[in-house]
Amino acid sequence: MSGKISRQILLYGVVCLAILAVPLLVDNAFLLNKYARYLIFGMLAIALSLSWGYAGILNLGQAMTFGLGSYCMAMFLKLKTVPIHTGSDGLPDFMVWNNVTELPWIWVPFQSMPFALLAGMLVPALFAALLGWFMFGGRVAGVYAAIITLATMVVVNLIIIDQQSYTGGFNGITDLAQFDILGLTFDAYSASTYYLVAVCLTVTLFVALAVSRSKTGLILQAVRDQEERVRFFGYDVALYKTFIFALSAAIAGLAGMLYTIVMEFASPTFLGVPLSLSIVIWVAVGGRQSLLGAMLGAMLVTGVQGALSETEAFLETWTLVMGGLFVLIVLLMPKGLAGAVEALLRRIPRGERKGNVRPAARQGSKSQPHLGGAL
Amino acid sequence: MTPAREQLLALRQVTVSFQGFVAVDRLDLAVAPGELRCLIGPNGAGKSTTLDLICGKSRITSGEIAFHGAPIHALKEFRIARTGIGRKFQVPSVFRELTVRENLEIGSSRDPGVWRNLFRFSGGADTERLERLAVLVGLEDHLETQAAQLSHGQTQWLEIALILAQDPALVLMDEPTAGMTAHETSMTAALFNRLRGRHTLVVVEHDMGFVRDIAETISVMHQGRLLAQGTADEISQDAKVREAYLGSGGIGHA
Repeated sequence: MSGKISRQILLYGVVCLAILAVPLLVDNAFLLNKYARYLIFGMLAIALSLSWGYAGILNLGQAMTFGLGSYCMAMFLKLKTVPIHTGSDGLPDFMVWNNVTELPWIWVPFQSMPFALLAGMLVPALFAALLGWFMFGGRVAGVYAAIITLATMVVVNLIIIDQQSYTGGFNGITDLAQFDILGLTFDAYSASTYYLVAVCLTVTLFVALAVSRSKTGLILQAVRDQEERVRFFGYDVALYKTFIFALSAAIAGLAGMLYTIVMEFASPTFLGVPLSLSIVIWVAVGGRQSLLGAMLGAMLVTGVQGALSETEAFLETWTLVMGGLFVLIVLLMPKGLAGAVEALLRRIPRGERKGNVRPAARQGSKSQPHLGGAL
Repeated sequence: MTPAREQLLALRQVTVSFQGFVAVDRLDLAVAPGELRCLIGPNGAGKSTTLDLICGKSRITSGEIAFHGAPIHALKEFRIARTGIGRKFQVPSVFRELTVRENLEIGSSRDPGVWRNLFRFSGGADTERLERLAVLVGLEDHLETQAAQLSHGQTQWLEIALILAQDPALVLMDEPTAGMTAHETSMTAALFNRLRGRHTLVVVEHDMGFVRDIAETISVMHQGRLLAQGTADEISQDAKVREAYLGSGGIGHA
């Protein structure tokens, strides 16, 4: 049991170290920016894996919490731009164009960095907690919950587009200052920003791993299997689901903040249906019941997507190729790539691997979890 | 009848109707602490519904359900469970994707809060207690087995062990021997006899042989009402009971 967990921590650590080592090998600012984006998508996949893979809540609106985090960071960075880039009296330029005369109250606290950084995670988390409380308290589950999350995201997206004088509308918030903390400046096209994203990803992955391995994580898996049974043991199932939903939103919010730093703008497309559904696909491909699998799935899919769309031979057909791959993977590997790898490892007979298992446990059935559990 | 101060569980004039169909009709039932009570009756008598009402799965239309002297029928399900009531379902429901050990950890729900469980990992102080429970139901060699791989009888036992991990004062068992072989059934009877005294049990059962093996007091339900109550011999000689069972082939095959 503990051997399995330490193997898992080792595997996760090695992957994170490999990610952190990339700038040592790649000395191309443009590529590092692109890879940083893939890492952020990996964080989004971890967020969805927690709610979908572990608690069985299919959140089709994950991009909403991502977008909220992204806008929080964009508001902060917009207010930090040097005055020449903004309108009169330090107002953001788009507000001047929309005849706004003073800074709206909702923008005022974003002049403070601690507030903005907290808001980037807490706003999505509280929003999700509120939505979760209504959904799970009212025992809305399964496909209905999925539809509500999707619909809520579309509504928030429309509000952001509609409130142009406060949000920049369709254009989003552009022309931002560079993120600057403790004397460090994070240029979007630099190794420093890549490291910032990679460190956040590592922390996120291990926090998520700890949650999934805790008793709370176990109870959430039980909720996924038999919600009713869990309730009659005295657990407040709605509270558990709301918690993981909000935690997932906070992670997505953090990813959104980083995305603004990497992309140098925030846009309503960040809360769009295409991105939101893409997250589901990444997680399904990688394996939704494996945090590492989901994360690598996101990087793999977006990476291949990027490579194909830039290759001349696939310029016209790359979406078709991607679509075909998704269909194949979902059909052949219901638990994603991580599930397939685990199944392969399980075929290796027990005796051929090192591992000190108690003799009593060895007498158990053939279904013992093997190395595969490390994913 | 048990005196009021000795009652752990008391149902008073409990009625429930589902869209006009009265499933339980002015039922009075009292169970003393440490008692092992069997609830029998022909199909549709309202036995499972009564268990549902006690644990909050269904809501009473009128009447009162008191536990430890306090009304519980208005509480949410998880709050009823936290007062010390455990429920085993008729269709065995365990967490099939998790291992036996993980199942037991979930059953152990003394601390049901999200926050505290966030900082609790497997292999804690509870391990020994859970492994003893696994021995009790004969699953000690299957602790790392996925629950989906267990046989039907083992699944039933696992769910019983989960309820014992929860350690409630009152255990509600809905047909615990359903689908078990004769051998498994007699082992279950032995298990129940060991639980007697430590837990209060209310057992709904069809298998009269099993009921005779374990019961002190049997309550017979018919058409939502309490028909008779007494020892196995008293019940089988009761004229009203014989009449109620006539259509279903006699009490021996009920």
